[in-house]
Amino acid sequence: MKDLDRKIRVGIPRALLFYKFSDLWITFFEHLGAEVIISPETTKQIKNVAVSLAPDEDCYSTKLYFGHAMALKDKVDYLFIPRFGGRKKKYVGCPKFIGLAEVLRSMIPDLPEILMPHYNRGMDKHTRIGLLVRAFRLAKIFRKNPFVRISAINKAFKAQRFHNKSLIIDEETLQKWENSEVILNDFPIYNENEKQLKIALVGHSYVLNDPFSSLNIRSLLQGYGVDIITSEQIPRKLIEKQMAKLDYDIYFDFEREILGTIMHFIESKTVDGIIHLLIFSCGPDSIAGEIAARLSKRNPTIPLLQLVFDELTGEAGMRTRIEAFVDMLRRSIDEKVIFHITQVRI
Amino acid sequence: MPLSFPYVGTFTYVFESIARGMKRDDIIVPDEPTYRTKQLGSQHSSEFVCTPFKMLLGSIIEVIEKGAYEIVATVFVDYCRLGYYSPLYQFILEDLGYDFDLINLDWFNKIEFFTSFKKLACNVNAVQAFQAFRVGWIKNRYIDQIDKSLYSYGAVEIEKGASYKVAHKLYRQVVETEGMKNIRMLPEIIQKTFDDEVEIDTEAKPLKVGVVGELYAVVEPAINLDIMRRLNDIGVITETPITFTRWIDLGQRMNPFKKWHYKACIKHAKPYVRYPLGGKTRESLGAVIEYKEKGWDGVIHLYPFTCMPEIISRSILPQVSREHDMPVLSLVLDEHTGEAGIQTRLEAFVDLLERKRNDRNGF
Repeated sequence: MKDLDRKIRVGIPRALLFYKFSDLWITFFEHLGAEVIISPETTKQIKNVAVSLAPDEDCYSTKLYFGHAMALKDKVDYLFIPRFGGRKKKYVGCPKFIGLAEVLRSMIPDLPEILMPHYNRGMDKHTRIGLLVRAFRLAKIFRKNPFVRISAINKAFKAQRFHNKSLIIDEETLQKWENSEVILNDFPIYNENEKQLKIALVGHSYVLNDPFSSLNIRSLLQGYGVDIITSEQIPRKLIEKQMAKLDYDIYFDFEREILGTIMHFIESKTVDGIIHLLIFSCGPDSIAGEIAARLSKRNPTIPLLQLVFDELTGEAGMRTRIEAFVDMLRRSIDEKVIFHITQVRI
Repeated sequence: MPLSFPYVGTFTYVFESIARGMKRDDIIVPDEPTYRTKQLGSQHSSEFVCTPFKMLLGSIIEVIEKGAYEIVATVFVDYCRLGYYSPLYQFILEDLGYDFDLINLDWFNKIEFFTSFKKLACNVNAVQAFQAFRVGWIKNRYIDQIDKSLYSYGAVEIEKGASYKVAHKLYRQVVETEGMKNIRMLPEIIQKTFDDEVEIDTEAKPLKVGVVGELYAVVEPAINLDIMRRLNDIGVITETPITFTRWIDLGQRMNPFKKWHYKACIKHAKPYVRYPLGGKTRESLGAVIEYKEKGWDGVIHLYPFTCMPEIISRSILPQVSREHDMPVLSLVLDEHTGEAGIQTRLEAFVDLLERKRNDRNGF
């Protein structure tokens, strides 16, 4: 029997899908009167624990999940690891998202109880109502009152909608960004006598938003005076438009976002370069990365840099490559300008 | 237009007999994958894509070099990368400058499946095409039967390699047999040929090991370095429940009383992995329990490097093995897998099984 005056503590590992659905989950549990404990930002210690525990062949991001779960192990009553199969019809997530909770339970026996609701709209044909029913049942652990539970679900979805709305820009804003009228992310530090660069930073949200696993690439680019846009921010409409151009369906949901962004910028040519962050041995990435590389090779307008991250990646090597890429982009812009002027003289 | 297909273990014989049944005389039969196939495949594909992708790509490039134009491939939505194989092959082969036509058979989209199938069957009408397909799935049963006999006779044969020779003779016989009446006679012929031509050691008490895992890794000897035959050579009977039967055998699929091995396995796996997540994850887990109940000695689990669903089963297998007291050996395979490493591990595993059996029998 738990103390009645102490709140039930729910732990959410700060990895993988947390970066997509954090607002939904945190609001949901907080409104049910639970104390939400989120694992700290990834550190070297978490990584070391993760790499020593996790299966060897898993992708780097999944390995990090093990470290985050271990960081929460003794601090919480429940761990929240949903079995998530996909949020849209026909499209699926990674199979590891479905198996993760069960793998953790099997590999680390002394974990606290894991809450693992299953939702798979893509393959198991669960309906949206089904999602609500599952959330309603899950909430029973915290509160018996059905009205409180319904209002918690309601507020959680509202928070997630608000999150999506503030993250995903509309086409008008995108156009403004392309014309350098607005800045969408951190303000770049411009040096004098340097051209402003625009780069699309493309990758999974759990790589883009985790400074440790992406080796702080965002602030690195900020320091070089590069204005970035991430693949998370691109309007859904543009992505669907690009996806319709392929003669087959890309059925990995998050990969559509990545590939759509790359295809959009290759076509519109409104950025100076694209940096694609891949995670080693990520299944969907190996496919999308290959398609992106081949599309860019066939249509060589915007330079595409593909960086593969894993637990052994050295910061210095990555830094050199990004520096070289940025220098190359600057030089190519300068050459275009010179060429333009000579044309005018003639 | 010359028709061909990538090499996929003994299923190649079924492909061949379906194509022959549709009166396609211009088929090019693929060769068994060699070192060059692996090299070709990994040279042109992305770094960490799964190994079956690389092997099949190598095989397709080889048949195109032999002069094939129409190539049969599959495409469907699953949890894993299998559905992207064909679109990516299209990209890669176009970039390499080959002239080809990939024919995608999408099994989950029945209308598209039969339109593509009709494209293949240009020499015959729809009824004959269906008949050819039916003959194909029936022959698939007998190919499976030969496989099963081969890997049990192979363990106890006196003259090494005898059953292998017999099996290869029978594969060709199955492919070349025509007429439903003759085909129906095949199971008896297969059984009789094995009985007559393979001399077995009746004194031997061989161990029994089930081989489960990812489909391609199990059925293709080139990627698993012929692991079933290696086990036979050290005197172990092997069997695999993983064949193509469950997909292409419409006759058995329509039979409601047929007891499918994989369905029983999935039921066993429920406490470990509840929901489907692609590949043979649940089947691999359940098969360990299924083989334990059948009284077998051990299970070998094969999967290709970076296979997403099988990594999950590989992570949970130690728990299943512990709870049910069943030895399991997980082997990850890729194009660089060395023979000596596999051989050593297999021998160690078999020694362990033997000691375990002796302990149980009180020696």
